[in-house]
Amino acid sequence: MSYTIDSKAVSQEPRPGQCLRTFIRDAGVFGVKKGCDQGDCGACTVWLDGVPVHSCLMPAHRAKDKQVTTVQGLEHDGHLHPVQQAFCDAQAFQCGFCAAGMIMTVAALDEEQRADLPRNLKGNLCRCTGYRAIEDAVHGIRSTDDDIAGAACGASLPNPFTQGIVTGHARYTMDVAVENLLHLKVLRSPHAHARIVSIDQSKARAIPGVVEVFTWEDVPRKLFSSATHEDHLVDPDDMYVLDNVARFVGQRVAAVVAETEAAAEAGCRALQVEYEILPAVFDPVEAMQDGAPILHSKGNEAKGNIFVTIKGEVGNVESGFAEAAVVHEKTYSTSRVQHAHLETHGSIAWRGEDGRLHVRTSTQAPFIAHQKLCYLFGIFPHDLHVFTERVGGGFGGKQEMVSEDLCLMATMKLGRPVKWEFTREEQFIGATTRHQMTTKVKLGAKADGTLTALEVHVVSNTGAYGGHGSETLAASLGSPLSAYRCKNKKADGHAVYTNMIPGGGFRGYGASQSTFAIECAMDDLAEKLGMDGFAIRRKNMIGPDDVIESVWSDPSDVSFGSYGLDECLDLVEAALANGEGLPAPEGNWAEGTGIALSVLESGPPTEHRSGGEMRLLPDGSYHLAVGSTEMGNGSINSHRQIAASILGTRGNNVDIINADTDLTPYDTGTFASTGTVVAGQAVALTAKALHDNIVSYAARITDTPVEDWSLVDDAVMNGNRRIELTELYKIGTEAGHRFDAKRKAYLSPRTIAFNVQGVRLAVHRVTGEVRVLHSVHAADIGRPINPMQCRGQLEGAVAMGYGWALTEHMVYDDHGKMLNPALRNYHIPAFADTPRTKIMFADTHDTIGPLGAKAQGECAINAVAPAVSNALANATGVRFAHLPFSPDRIFDQLSVTA
Amino acid sequence: MYSVNYHRANSVDDAAKMAEAGDAKFLSGGMTLIPAMKTRLAAPSDLIDLTHISELKGITISGRTVTIGAGTIHYDVATHTDLKALCPALCHLASHIGDPAVRHRGTIGGSVANNDPAADYPSALLAMGATIITNQREIAAEDFFTGLFETALEEGEIVTAVTFEVPEKSGYAKFPNPASRYAMTGVFVAKGKDGVRVAVTGAGDNGVFRSEPLETALATSFDAKALEGLSVPSDNLMGDLHASPEYRANLIVVMAKRAVLAANG
Ligand SMILES: Cc1cc2nc3c(=O)[nH]c(=O)nc-3n(C[C@H](O)[C@H](O)[C@H](O)COP(=O)(O)OP(=O)(O)OC[C@H]3O[C@@H](n4cnc5c(N)ncnc54)[C@H](O)[C@@H]3O)c2cc1C
Ligand code: FES
Ligand code: FES
Repeated sequence: MSYTIDSKAVSQEPRPGQCLRTFIRDAGVFGVKKGCDQGDCGACTVWLDGVPVHSCLMPAHRAKDKQVTTVQGLEHDGHLHPVQQAFCDAQAFQCGFCAAGMIMTVAALDEEQRADLPRNLKGNLCRCTGYRAIEDAVHGIRSTDDDIAGAACGASLPNPFTQGIVTGHARYTMDVAVENLLHLKVLRSPHAHARIVSIDQSKARAIPGVVEVFTWEDVPRKLFSSATHEDHLVDPDDMYVLDNVARFVGQRVAAVVAETEAAAEAGCRALQVEYEILPAVFDPVEAMQDGAPILHSKGNEAKGNIFVTIKGEVGNVESGFAEAAVVHEKTYSTSRVQHAHLETHGSIAWRGEDGRLHVRTSTQAPFIAHQKLCYLFGIFPHDLHVFTERVGGGFGGKQEMVSEDLCLMATMKLGRPVKWEFTREEQFIGATTRHQMTTKVKLGAKADGTLTALEVHVVSNTGAYGGHGSETLAASLGSPLSAYRCKNKKADGHAVYTNMIPGGGFRGYGASQSTFAIECAMDDLAEKLGMDGFAIRRKNMIGPDDVIESVWSDPSDVSFGSYGLDECLDLVEAALANGEGLPAPEGNWAEGTGIALSVLESGPPTEHRSGGEMRLLPDGSYHLAVGSTEMGNGSINSHRQIAASILGTRGNNVDIINADTDLTPYDTGTFASTGTVVAGQAVALTAKALHDNIVSYAARITDTPVEDWSLVDDAVMNGNRRIELTELYKIGTEAGHRFDAKRKAYLSPRTIAFNVQGVRLAVHRVTGEVRVLHSVHAADIGRPINPMQCRGQLEGAVAMGYGWALTEHMVYDDHGKMLNPALRNYHIPAFADTPRTKIMFADTHDTIGPLGAKAQGECAINAVAPAVSNALANATGVRFAHLPFSPDRIFDQLSVTA
Repeated sequence: MYSVNYHRANSVDDAAKMAEAGDAKFLSGGMTLIPAMKTRLAAPSDLIDLTHISELKGITISGRTVTIGAGTIHYDVATHTDLKALCPALCHLASHIGDPAVRHRGTIGGSVANNDPAADYPSALLAMGATIITNQREIAAEDFFTGLFETALEEGEIVTAVTFEVPEKSGYAKFPNPASRYAMTGVFVAKGKDGVRVAVTGAGDNGVFRSEPLETALATSFDAKALEGLSVPSDNLMGDLHASPEYRANLIVVMAKRAVLAANG
């Protein structure tokens, strides 16, 4: 005996140089995850003789003669370990990708260490939860409700994946053993702009294990966009699967397929590429000037690098400014940040025994990926199957097809299964980011604070490819401007190509960037008027009787399904005043308070639809199929709750499957806050149709009025008369009746959701350190279908907002190369950085969204960074207008102004 | 990671002999070396594992002289009861390295041999005038840390221990890099029989260094007030994506004050 994992002897020996993480996974124990492979995230934490270690930093040889324990080995006598149970009770996860490592770390803490979580959880990152639920788990707090028939909607039911997540058995994209698997790796461009003159493959092909090399000469010469929108016309077709021009550092140059990952990597290094270096441009303002190097000559030469310009005006801002007693004008900018979902991008493709092609992937839009793949490779739609199992976070990053195409192409050519998993570095340099935007805001107001004119000018750096460029720009000019009532509004914006990594979809989608600018500007204006942040907003924010209008006067399908913005402001004001939170630390600290609001339409203006299918099963339970992706947003849970509540049953009585082009109806993708209002609506319509099917059948066979029948848990009732569903099913199916239903939902009209963030913080006058002392957030998301889950989504979004405000920043050198492509240097909030935010809900019930609910996963992030900037301004008298507010940048600005 | 030959050494002599062949590197906690190999910043053909050598482990205290074996993990330094009583500043320093998993594997020998310009230990050893003991000789800390990731170690030379006389008073304060928690600037102050020594890590463009202006100020009065209004030049300080030299100069004074406050307890 030499190697033991979870008390089971392992027969194989580690390969020379293998780390413990991959050794464990090779043994089929997939509960051990990878978030970074460099010791930064803790997703791979296991115990070695009871001591927690990062298995990615451990040579597998060191486990010889030792006990390795993973999350899969924690159960004892069929019972969950108390920490696993605590994670269930507190629902201390969303996507759950961090949970395996988090549980191993927490389960090894002693009492003293539990008292100091900021320090002792430093090595475990979670991108989804904002850590509140994890803290609750450590302290044994239960947040879940019981599953009671008919009461599913509005109850905090646990996620149906709970057991799988806490025991490590939930299968994420890479958690399958595939026989005969080949591995794909890509060589990425070291240059920001270069033409590929030649690629010498001979050395790469000579490496043992290398099977095939793909270059631009091997791919279909079809232009497409990796952005997954059903309407492919909103994104420019400006990329090839592999191109002979590299337009950013990190762009794919060639792919190598080999028997092992190591051989594929070695193959990439052995490729000899001759580049002709082309002039590059990184700044969008420079890129718009005459003489700038042009990135794309695909039919838009006349516009240079400007991919799209969007503008509009209502009223007349010129006269509005003439009317104003006070005018404020300033430029604000936001930084380039990455989603950093803990599960990196990746897919596995193979040809099945059915002769069809299958792609298992980590996507937010399997159906759109399916369409794009069919188009690119000329596949008949029914010959291709695209699906997700469990997705480890998305946040918009997986509204992009960045791995599926190469895997599929390699499988088609080689006939063997092919896998490609991004490294964390590739995630930073070769995926997508939030669009960097610079926003000039000009506001005019009367002396009493009434806005007379609002003008916004946005320059968006869309990077080397234009996917999401026009949609994010449109979003930036949309809801953030409709938040305020003003007769005269004007906006224009350009999305500009540069030799930077492409922008993509990211929680808040363009609106985050301009909300930052406008909400800071509102406070700057208030300062000039001698008003406070609450007063200026109350004076100007839209009310339920106003028209929801940005800068276009044509009719819109956005309506107030409900209105709770006023209540959100009241809640935040009261919470900030209640004396909770921490006192300012002693020493040279300045204290300040700030607020900001955000408004987001529930769903995008482009076409969006989703379908649901339901069946009654012989045992009286239900099967539900929806196309939308569960990526930690909890949609799978809220969907079954919606169905259960309409069918009068328990959540657990509804079995659900999602995001699979074979097994679920079509869905345009889970993004732009559509999980509840579109897919959820589809589920509601389907469940209602099945409900009607069942009760009308009962009425028919008993010859009684249908209105007298109702569904209760596992029976239909009419007064005291009760027919068990199992019996009804039997009678019905024998008579040829089918208990099933299918419905589609289309997104229109669209309702609107509101958020208000309040922050009290302290900033150190000498070091520039920021400590959040009190963080409160109120949301009007209609009726929360699962309050705990909604709270978690908001906490996660707020935490991500703090990351954007305070620590996250992709830094580049003068040649467009990213300097910090690792979680070691790109700082997503750890436990210690994340204040506990008090989440409050406005008491509203939406008339448009399903069962009174509205969208909730996205817009909470938008109000955070401006609230922090407003609090900093309140504390120091200095406006920090450019993200992020890291200590050195605060120091720089304070020392200049001092 | 790529293929590499793995050898388990059972004694220091054993390890030294193994190192004669090929392009070998010693592997201690692996917390620095393994990530470097994964990103191919290091690519040895052979790894010689030092973790099974018992003579490299443990802390011995005789009077005020402390000797820490090179293979001693950060966690053991952080939690050593007798050391805590004698030199709490060093335990405090060790308890703030990385995260629990790193503290359970990373070693003091690996840390000093690696001499990361942002590592914590080098400042303590320099400020306390420690001696680094190898399998061949003894080297004063002054002479040992020679630059960025550079030390006086010869090819194949093994750090076996560090030893120092506990100063009368000592304190450490670091401003952690927000992402990695390494020192963006860390200052160790020691007041001993040779006077006051102040060593700065994380800030110098050539690694850990002693700050003369701070030492002079504190020699007159070992009190945080003595540093009031003082500023240090930003020449020769590091400027990188995390902070400018000017910001680091500012932090050096602030951290020195905090370290003195801690030392005066
Ligand atoms: C996530 C993370 C966070 C960290 N945070 C911090 C921090 O806040 N502060 C800090 O100071 N450090 C930090 N570290 C580094 C940590 O302290 C390492 O443990 C240390 O730098 C190296 O020690 P090691 O035992 O792991 O050495 P290894 O990685 O095994 O070796 C490092 C180098 O030293 C050589 N070497 C090792 N032992 C000897 C010896 N006895 N003789 C000669 N050469 C030897 C090796 O050949 C190698 O070149 C962090 C590391 C990680 C992964
Ligand atoms: S995968 Fe090991 S720490 Fe991130
Ligand atoms: S739940 Fe923690 S990373 Fe997703």
